[in-house]
Amino acid sequence: MLRRTILAVLIAGTVGFGVYWWITAAPARPAVAAAALTANIANGQSMFNAGGCASCHAVPNQPDRTRLGGGLAMNSPFGTFYAPNISPDPSEGIGKWTDADFVNAVRSGVSPTGAHYYPAFPYTSYAHAKIEDVRDLFAYLKTLPPVSGKVRDHDLPFPFNFRRNIGVWKLLFMDDKSFVADAARSADWNRGAYLVNGFGHCAECHSPRNFLGGIIGSQKFAGGPNPEGEGWVPNITQKRLSDWSAKDIAYFLETGQKPDGDSAGGSMVRVIKNTSHLSEQDRAAMAEYLRSLPPVDGPTPPKRKEGGA
Amino acid sequence: MIRSLVVVGALLLGVSTVVAQQDVAKQSQATMKENAKNLGGVLIAMVKGEKPYDQAAVNAALKQLDDTAKKLPSMFPESVKNVKLEGDYSSSPKIWEDKAGFAAKIDSFAKVVSEAKTKIKDLDSLKATAPGIGKECSNCHETFRLKSS
Repeated sequence: MLRRTILAVLIAGTVGFGVYWWITAAPARPAVAAAALTANIANGQSMFNAGGCASCHAVPNQPDRTRLGGGLAMNSPFGTFYAPNISPDPSEGIGKWTDADFVNAVRSGVSPTGAHYYPAFPYTSYAHAKIEDVRDLFAYLKTLPPVSGKVRDHDLPFPFNFRRNIGVWKLLFMDDKSFVADAARSADWNRGAYLVNGFGHCAECHSPRNFLGGIIGSQKFAGGPNPEGEGWVPNITQKRLSDWSAKDIAYFLETGQKPDGDSAGGSMVRVIKNTSHLSEQDRAAMAEYLRSLPPVDGPTPPKRKEGGA
Repeated sequence: MIRSLVVVGALLLGVSTVVAQQDVAKQSQATMKENAKNLGGVLIAMVKGEKPYDQAAVNAALKQLDDTAKKLPSMFPESVKNVKLEGDYSSSPKIWEDKAGFAAKIDSFAKVVSEAKTKIKDLDSLKATAPGIGKECSNCHETFRLKSS
């Protein structure tokens, strides 16, 4: 009897481990057409600005947003992430990557060696980007100056330091469906939806997350505690932005200036540094889409009492 | 008797200090809101074409912003560090942790505002200059202001 129990436990354990190993393996690489692509560098640059790559990957404390040597520390409830070098440096950056490597990294969060990236890299949004746009972005990045120097490893406690677990996380929280245009809406609205949900990755900060760091889908764009630390990220659905016109939103994305005269603060300042480089039409498109988000109640910010301490 | 007087006195003093700290913080908050009204409601409203260009209104708005620049170095004394007020924002502890960095932001704001006073003569120069003032606001708020709701 005992022997049988031990055997059953062993079999269950082995099967369980096998399933875990299978789930957590990096997925097969997507087929990227081998045909040479005539890259549209200007479009790649637009995607670079929409995606906010420089906000995390540009070398901190220097003004050049095209020196993508990484190194920025990003706090999270799971530990500290350090943005990697994505300059075209052949040894520390992405200089030796193929198009397939890059597309796989950006849209699936898988490294060229087949390891999962942490979702601090917002591939959960980038997954909705078109492959051609991702390849144009890659072509643009290759035109930027190589920056040498290796960035330190992430500083994460167990069990978050075990990358294989991200496979389970992806299974639970990652929606990798490609963007599908809504024929009932205007071309501008669709462009806006594509930019906001794809490269723009607005929802990554402007949505509350559950205890495992997955976005709570029913409250997408409804704001929540700042995932990077102190403070609160505002609700950008019509719950809060109903008195902003599309023009107000577009002007804010250009200048960081809100209609009431207040200015952007916190991480949004870095975002504006990217969106200010987008074309007028792209900002207007994003504004049109954001204006259409139905009002959704987000989590309630902590109440503050007046008083000294 | 004397002892209870001292105790009451000390308590009153304590209460009034807290009230005074609150007042300082409230004044700072009011000044900031005033800035927003002048920048957003006057200067940027003209840039966006929501209001017609009006040199007198521009001058008045710039004067208020210039006054703020002069007040800013004393608007956040150490004593208001832990004061919490109702509102969307609060001051970040970094104001007192990185005093030199904070002072540099104030200097930069003051410089841009005083340059704007000589530069802005018409709608074109307003369009070219006013957004730069907003950028100064953002550059400081990026680090030294916290959003709380």
